[in-house]
Amino acid sequence: MAVTSDTLPTNRERVGTLAARISEPFVLVPILGWLVGALVAVLLEQFIGLPIARAFGMVRIPALFGILIFFEILSEIFVAFVELLQVPSMILMQLPDFLLFTLENLAKLPGVILYVLLIYILPISLVARLTVSPSNWVAGKLFNFRSWLSVLLHIALMYLILHIWTDVTDYRLLVARLILVSVIITLSLNVINGYMGEFSCSHPGFIALGAYGASVFTVGLFVNDNVLGTALLPETLARFMFPIGLILGGLIASLGAILVAIPSFNTRGDYLAIISLAFMFMVKSLFENLEVFGGPRGLGGQPDLATLPTVFFWTIVGIWIMNNFVRSTLGKALNAVRDGETAADAMTVNTRRTKFTAFLFGAFWAGVAGGLFAHVIRYVNPGTFGLQMLAEVLAMVYFGGLNSVQGSIVGATSIQLLGEALRPLEIYKWLVIPLLLIIVMIRRPTGLISFTKFDFTSLIKPKKEPGGEV
Amino acid sequence: MNKRTLLIITGLFLIGAFIVSGCAQAAQPAIVIGVNAPLTGDIPKVGEGSKFSAEMWLEDINAAGGLDVGGTKYPVEIVIEDNESKAESATKANTKLITQDEVLVIVGPQSSKQAVPAGGVANDNETPMVSPWSTNPNTTLDRPWVFRTPFLDPFQGPVIANFVTDEFGFSKAAVLYDVASDYPKGLAEFFKGAWEDVHGADSVVAYESFTTKDADFSAQLTKIRESGAEFIFTPQYYNEVALIAQQAHELGWDAPIVGSDSWGSAELMNLCGDDCKGQFFSTHYAAAGATGATKEFIDRYNEKHGYVPDDVGALTWDTMLIIQKAIQDCGTITGDIATDRACVRDALAQIKDFDGITGKMTFTEEGDPIKCAVIVQISDAGEFEFYQQVCP
Repeated sequence: MAVTSDTLPTNRERVGTLAARISEPFVLVPILGWLVGALVAVLLEQFIGLPIARAFGMVRIPALFGILIFFEILSEIFVAFVELLQVPSMILMQLPDFLLFTLENLAKLPGVILYVLLIYILPISLVARLTVSPSNWVAGKLFNFRSWLSVLLHIALMYLILHIWTDVTDYRLLVARLILVSVIITLSLNVINGYMGEFSCSHPGFIALGAYGASVFTVGLFVNDNVLGTALLPETLARFMFPIGLILGGLIASLGAILVAIPSFNTRGDYLAIISLAFMFMVKSLFENLEVFGGPRGLGGQPDLATLPTVFFWTIVGIWIMNNFVRSTLGKALNAVRDGETAADAMTVNTRRTKFTAFLFGAFWAGVAGGLFAHVIRYVNPGTFGLQMLAEVLAMVYFGGLNSVQGSIVGATSIQLLGEALRPLEIYKWLVIPLLLIIVMIRRPTGLISFTKFDFTSLIKPKKEPGGEV
Repeated sequence: MNKRTLLIITGLFLIGAFIVSGCAQAAQPAIVIGVNAPLTGDIPKVGEGSKFSAEMWLEDINAAGGLDVGGTKYPVEIVIEDNESKAESATKANTKLITQDEVLVIVGPQSSKQAVPAGGVANDNETPMVSPWSTNPNTTLDRPWVFRTPFLDPFQGPVIANFVTDEFGFSKAAVLYDVASDYPKGLAEFFKGAWEDVHGADSVVAYESFTTKDADFSAQLTKIRESGAEFIFTPQYYNEVALIAQQAHELGWDAPIVGSDSWGSAELMNLCGDDCKGQFFSTHYAAAGATGATKEFIDRYNEKHGYVPDDVGALTWDTMLIIQKAIQDCGTITGDIATDRACVRDALAQIKDFDGITGKMTFTEEGDPIKCAVIVQISDAGEFEFYQQVCP
């Protein structure tokens, strides 16, 4: 990018060149290089994270890249500021105290930033940059040998990184598992709302059906429970039967989806939204009145089956299958239905069948995610699957981006992390998150990363040919 | 940016890190108490009551220069986490409090839909947890690390049934409750069982339900009127109670309406007005005419926050004091969090005849308290006046 001396660059161009300058040395880094860098970073944290965190004035390793501490500091200052404003006559008297307090809190920030730089950013970028040639060579060899092996190796590496990262505290483990579950939920809703372009509100209902389906399966068969009676099978079998429970939950959710799909054949837009919303409430009050499953008191005591490997496995399988689905002929038909149903019909797309399949498919994965969710929390009650959950899943889809796998992953992760990080703000959290959504909707009406194709095999390709010129 | 610049930057950072680590100091050991409360979501008022009470307790401790354990004064910190009134957030908040903030003991969550899953987390991680509000038996069932301070619904149901029998001599009851909400539904069932034990089958002549956020009860109330019931028992929250009482009176109902501890909110009289005056309900403590420590607490709370504390505020206050007693009974703070947590748990389990503002408490094996209930009458001035005490 050439900037002549007599035309000063605008701000946007400056940002552009800066971004280009920073990313320039990393253009040739393949995914493998980044993963190796991340592996080094999490290993580093595992072994010397604690002394470094202590050295920077923190009691323990910051749980989520320091964003929790960052927002905690912000919220403390904010609360102190609000308190300061409450007694206008005392502002001048208390101003020095407030400023001191602010400074004291802000003084914690550099430590956190240094920690993140030293443990994450620096090792990752260094390793990624320094191993450009070997990682490209390995990636190329692997890719040319067997591309599926290369894919498996990348996924294994990702799991290893996640495993080591979550090993630090149980809190990370729980947050990571819930994020993975919400990735499946978001992607499955994206199939209906993004790829098919409908506005379906029934997702919490599908999640509830899956959650209850899988819970009744595991609790009823393997656990002595005062709601569902004594165990029929030994608990050691539960681990192996769990996939059956999840798939059962998914199938029950699909069955529920038929109930929404049939009356909504001839409706679109607002009407479908209303039908699906009604369905969500129906499912909720169904479980509230079903005394056999605990009624409004809910169903607890699920065995601890949704461990990190299990959830990770199902997330990968879910992304893989859903991505293949939307890239298939049927997926193209979905887009055709979204862009013009009549036109699609005229082009021999069976719109009725397409909508039906997509609804059942999306509901199935929502059900699987629901089953996982119930076993992560180890408790389900009907109240969980209400409007609040609907708002959250819709936010994840529209924030991340319609019609996009990457968007779903980004949306689920960022909304979940944001929700976690902004918790210290208490009630003001519900000012910040909607505001962010509004800004995203104004700047990018279809979400952060929308209308993209996701092709993992081409992503993991080496960035240059082995032995070739840089 | 080439490799050399990168290396130089790394070197500088590492040097910086070592310099900083040289100046690091050991932190002063403190007692950290976690509060897991619904500050946003469906029931923010409940979370607020707990938060205010916990903060008041902290003020007292700070004014005394720390918590005195075995002769040493330890500084106390309270970490308040918002659980958004959601089950998954409550488990996240509990996990964070236990693993990140390394709290000694957790207070909360309040409602059962959060307390049941959060109790599982606390029990698995061997951290004592005391819920100040949850009445679902599953919260403490088979969980040695989980306790609660309110009495349970299987106790409250018979209390009300016996009170109405003795006081009015009625034999035909009507029940109106929210079928979709955990607490009213459970209590309605326990009441029905207790009433039928005393007066025989079919003595509950009307057993009517509605769904959360319904606002028109005329159909149910008409049925109740026609059933020949002598009073209505409605274990609902204050906003619904106001609507039920008003609509009942509009339909010409003039017999008593009896309620449960969920009535006990400062908001009730603002919404209900004259329609609730003279009615009875069972609760944890009576604010009007309170004496001693209870009055002191109410006045202090009222002065600071501008309203008479709800039962959740009073129960949280008792919970904080129970925790304080358990920590002090423990004798020493070793600094090893696992040992200290086990010590506090054992001390909690041994608490006997604790004199709280909501009555004397002794914990059972299950971690539930044995305590008395109070029957309160709403006076013409709109105050909740002590009527009688019922002990197990």
